[in-house]
Amino acid sequence: MSHALRVDWPSCHARGLCHELLPEVVDLDEWGYPLVTGEVTEALLADARAAVRACPRLALRLVEAPPR
Amino acid sequence: MSAPSPVPVPDRVVVHPGPALLAGLESGPWLPAHRARFGPLPDVSLDDLLDRVARVGVAGRGGAAFPFATKLATAARGRRPVVVVNLAEGEPASAKDTALALTRPHLVLDGAVATARALRAREVHVVLPGERPRTSVAVLRALDERRDPVRVRVHTASPTFVAGQARAVLELMAGRPDLPVTAWQPEAVAGHAGRPTLLSNAETWAHVAHLLLAGDPLRAGLGTTAEPGTTLLTISREGALPEVREVAHGTPWRDVLADVPDRPAAALVGGFHGTWASWDHLERMRVSRAAMRAEGMPLGAGIVHVPAPTTCPLALTADVLAYLADQSARRCGPCLNGLPALAAEVRGLVAGRDGTRRVERLAALVDGRGACAHPDGTVRLVRSALAVLGDEVEAHRSGQCATRSLREVTW
Ligand code: SF4
Ligand code: SF4
Repeated sequence: MSHALRVDWPSCHARGLCHELLPEVVDLDEWGYPLVTGEVTEALLADARAAVRACPRLALRLVEAPPR
Repeated sequence: MSAPSPVPVPDRVVVHPGPALLAGLESGPWLPAHRARFGPLPDVSLDDLLDRVARVGVAGRGGAAFPFATKLATAARGRRPVVVVNLAEGEPASAKDTALALTRPHLVLDGAVATARALRAREVHVVLPGERPRTSVAVLRALDERRDPVRVRVHTASPTFVAGQARAVLELMAGRPDLPVTAWQPEAVAGHAGRPTLLSNAETWAHVAHLLLAGDPLRAGLGTTAEPGTTLLTISREGALPEVREVAHGTPWRDVLADVPDRPAAALVGGFHGTWASWDHLERMRVSRAAMRAEGMPLGAGIVHVPAPTTCPLALTADVLAYLADQSARRCGPCLNGLPALAAEVRGLVAGRDGTRRVERLAALVDGRGACAHPDGTVRLVRSALAVLGDEVEAHRSGQCATRSLREVTW
């Protein structure tokens, strides 16, 4: 089962911590908000969980990626 | 500074008689006339209702035309579902729900009440548009006439573009400011107070009621096998009252638009979150959700905005964008930063700057990145402007827009 990172936009205040913790999946846009660029693979799952826990605004969630 | 809507919000509307929902308008909006026409509202079981709405393909009025039957089946799986009639259209160019409230309020309410009974829901919530007082009064008067076997609760939405968005409506019902919030689950799974919530616009409820009261529209010869029945359209013309028409699916647009006096080069299909379509292209199409989606001009809420021939569509796009940027609830970073930037760049195109690449980049940056679909809809409009109004963009770049001198651009 693959996972995807979703952002609760009204909560996110662009501190960019998620990008530092998970640069493989999270880029930042020109205003500093996270750009989720890919799926969270098994190998990245632990790092992704850490990023979710570290977000100071509790604005990140790991959801099961919809089947394609 | 707040940007006004370039199309005034209609609280008055011309309603043309139609073949189903809008038949018999002369008998008025009152309950006795409604019951005399259709008889009493039948009690229908959930299975029967599901079967009927699935067979005629009753669908929502968003760009995706989400099937009502799917939502109904989902809501039926949970405990103590809630039914919501959403009359907060938000979209200034749309007048169909206003038309129904003024002429056919009991069809709308019957659809919701019959569904609530089939679902054994105890509550029907009715959400009124804050910016359309006549619409609200018409619905309240209709509610006053009725004695329904369910509890009806009325709410009035804020007069903003995004207040009619499903999650904003649920916030309003919960007593919080009606701003969209992130949806982690569909509202048919977990909506009001965490309960399954079946929320639809007035037109969808009216179709459900008509189906129960008058039977299969195909048997009345309305629509096509793929898309039975009718749909409501708002023809919004610059400088005229909006007109609401009910037409059968499959009707040629050429017929619908036959009495538009001055044909512009392009029309805005689906409203401010819609797409530009060249007039010729639109006239070759039929009123069909599937066909129009396939051509990249989703019918959505059924709006066609017809600019005056002296209005530059690119300048109008810039005005619409300024308004949409202003209507962002300003809480999601990409929407809050991206929409004003996008509006400024499109204004730049009108001023003759060569900024299409930057417009495309900004569009990609805001698309899909908000709690509600406001950024996505805004991007749809911008992309269609680049795709369909290429000649105008070029004319502005070389300082030769034919209509610019006729309609001054507002800065
Ligand atoms: S760490 Fe949280 S608040 Fe900061 S940018 Fe990422 S999602 Fe937004
Ligand atoms: S996406 Fe925009 S309009 Fe929608 S909730 Fe976020 S800030 Fe508001």
